[in-house]
Amino acid sequence: MNKDKFSVFDGLWKDNTILSALMVISPVIVCGNTLRNALAIIYAFSAITLFSVVIASFVPKNLPYTIRTIINAAIASLVYIPVKHMAVGFFPDVIPRTGIYFPLLAVNSIIILHTESKFFKMKKPEMIGSLVFYILGFDLIMLIISVIREIFGHGTLNENVININFISGLSEPFGGFVLLGLLCGLYRKMRSGNRISGGDKNVSDN
Amino acid sequence: MDNTKIKSHVWLDLAVTLFGLSVVSYFYYGERFLLLSGVCLGVSCTAEIICSKLMHKKFDDFHFISDAMMISLMLPAVFSLKIAGLACIFAVIVTKNIFGGKDNMIFSPAAAAYVFMLTSWKDNLLKYPEPNTKYQAGEKITDLVYSASHNFNMEGKTDISDFDLMLGNFSGASGTVIIPVLVVSAVVLILRRDISAGAFFGTVAGTVLMAFIIPATDDIIQSAKYSLCMNMTLFSAIYIVSDRRTAPEKDYYAFFYGLFIAVISYILIITTAQENAIVIVSVIFTPVALGIKNLENKIRLAGENDGNLRGEAESIE
Amino acid sequence: MFLITELIAFLCGNLILNQALGISTMFTAAKDRKNLIGTAAVITIFTTFASAFACFIDLIFPQTDIRLLLYVVAVGIIYIGLLFGLKKFSGKNFVKYRKYIHISAFNCAVMGTVFTIGGTAENAGFFRYISAGIEAGAGFVLASLILTAAYKRLDSEKVPPSFRGFPAMLVYLGIISMALYALK
Repeated sequence: MNKDKFSVFDGLWKDNTILSALMVISPVIVCGNTLRNALAIIYAFSAITLFSVVIASFVPKNLPYTIRTIINAAIASLVYIPVKHMAVGFFPDVIPRTGIYFPLLAVNSIIILHTESKFFKMKKPEMIGSLVFYILGFDLIMLIISVIREIFGHGTLNENVININFISGLSEPFGGFVLLGLLCGLYRKMRSGNRISGGDKNVSDN
Repeated sequence: MDNTKIKSHVWLDLAVTLFGLSVVSYFYYGERFLLLSGVCLGVSCTAEIICSKLMHKKFDDFHFISDAMMISLMLPAVFSLKIAGLACIFAVIVTKNIFGGKDNMIFSPAAAAYVFMLTSWKDNLLKYPEPNTKYQAGEKITDLVYSASHNFNMEGKTDISDFDLMLGNFSGASGTVIIPVLVVSAVVLILRRDISAGAFFGTVAGTVLMAFIIPATDDIIQSAKYSLCMNMTLFSAIYIVSDRRTAPEKDYYAFFYGLFIAVISYILIITTAQENAIVIVSVIFTPVALGIKNLENKIRLAGENDGNLRGEAESIE
Repeated sequence: MFLITELIAFLCGNLILNQALGISTMFTAAKDRKNLIGTAAVITIFTTFASAFACFIDLIFPQTDIRLLLYVVAVGIIYIGLLFGLKKFSGKNFVKYRKYIHISAFNCAVMGTVFTIGGTAENAGFFRYISAGIEAGAGFVLASLILTAAYKRLDSEKVPPSFRGFPAMLVYLGIISMALYALK
């Protein structure tokens, strides 16, 4: 997407997983409606993605692409098992609420698509650094969206009641669609603003 | 892309007819309705100005006035001002200007704003004051009732007399129940080509047809009458389904577009007692309208190409 | 009347509009009719066969965390099978069409379908699984058609640059999803 000089920090803002690449958006839209849900998703996404990509980087590169993709997904599904067991201890009430989205994190686009097209083309230390910032980029936006949706959708913050007139629809999936669309627009506006002021020159509005 | 050019006076014609409905609503519900209407207009105007500034566009689209009036007329006269204001912001910014405003209309702003309120404040939105109970601007209202449409949908009958039905003297959204004014508005707007006649007649035909096939009451005529007058059917047929900005351009296509909206709304009312289903269905039918418009454009382009080819062939000869 | 109520129920239970599964793939599929047909066909094949596999997996390993791995293996087998099938039958067109298989394989719409129906094998039975797979594929087609109808307008120059494309598509789908939610 960007032809600028590569930086390991790209994933945090410039090539953000959610706002720029629109990857892993289903859990954000459906489960990112309370802070506790978000923390559980953030924990699972970060742990599964980090360990899976690092382990998968040892898979021989001479295997066909299809086989490598299947192995990457299988590694992620194995990593998912201990991560879920620990999550039950950390977030006992949240796991049932996140439903199918918790296991689906193991087959997220970063593991399935980005590993082969991006991370595995880098040197290991660079790959790990970049991966960490991609994960942090997801975590940050997930956190922001869930806080906004919990405050304005439920009238609470971390399940503590706030005296505010809330829009209950914002906590529903359609609220997630609309809010994410608005934030994506805002993100592009901010990036194109940077471009004008001499920042990034390769922001695509298309 | 879309060849539809909306004439500049359309918003004014719509606003004039909506003003008629607003006057009657004021007589039924007093100052509180005026306040609600004023808030909707004020917030919509502010939102439109801000959007024009942010998008670096000329402030020349006054459809927000008719949209704001529609929203206020679709609400209970004593509805929360904050929520009404929020709905107007949603209508102007999210459903209209994000997609490019008047040049690229996708949804009917009033319909989408109504659905937005329905999903978050259903209980507030579907409880109404009794007609002829005038309220002061700051008065706190507690004695709200379900609409006549709700009772009709649930029980399949109503005890409203024809006289009251004609005068709109029954509980419901303030501007959607005043049948004589709505009929006059429909005639005026169709004659002035401000609304899509095809979509309007399609909606009416669909409702009447369904009332004959699956009557909601024991009497077929009564069924057709109540189905048209309740659940915002007539109001939506004029101002939402037939909105020239969103309805298909050709009357032929628009007729079937309106017909299907009416048929599906009727079935929803019969099977699920969904109040004001036509507004929701008109939003769901947006992709259908867009698909038909794409088809119309393709046919027009094919016609133009055909004409050009013939012209070239004739000039060669 | 029955058909219309079923259609509305089908729309209200749509995986994409209600559960946001497979959105990124749909954005790609809705670009043009050729893409839409190719992707929708492959997704339907994946969801149907994966659901069939899931039925057996659920019967043998009900409600265990190992199911995810087994689903992945099942989808992997279908993935390889489809590529072999395509290579055998499409000949020169293999390179042209294989992209549909690659983008559909571990798609959220496919994995989401097996998880949604998953764990109910004893009560639902094999044919319920198969029908759930076909329904999910049909749901993908329907949602893609909804997006295709507005695609050019949402990606046109009339839309403000910041919202052009994906952001406008998300808002558009959100409003349609909101109307469907209002019917529930």
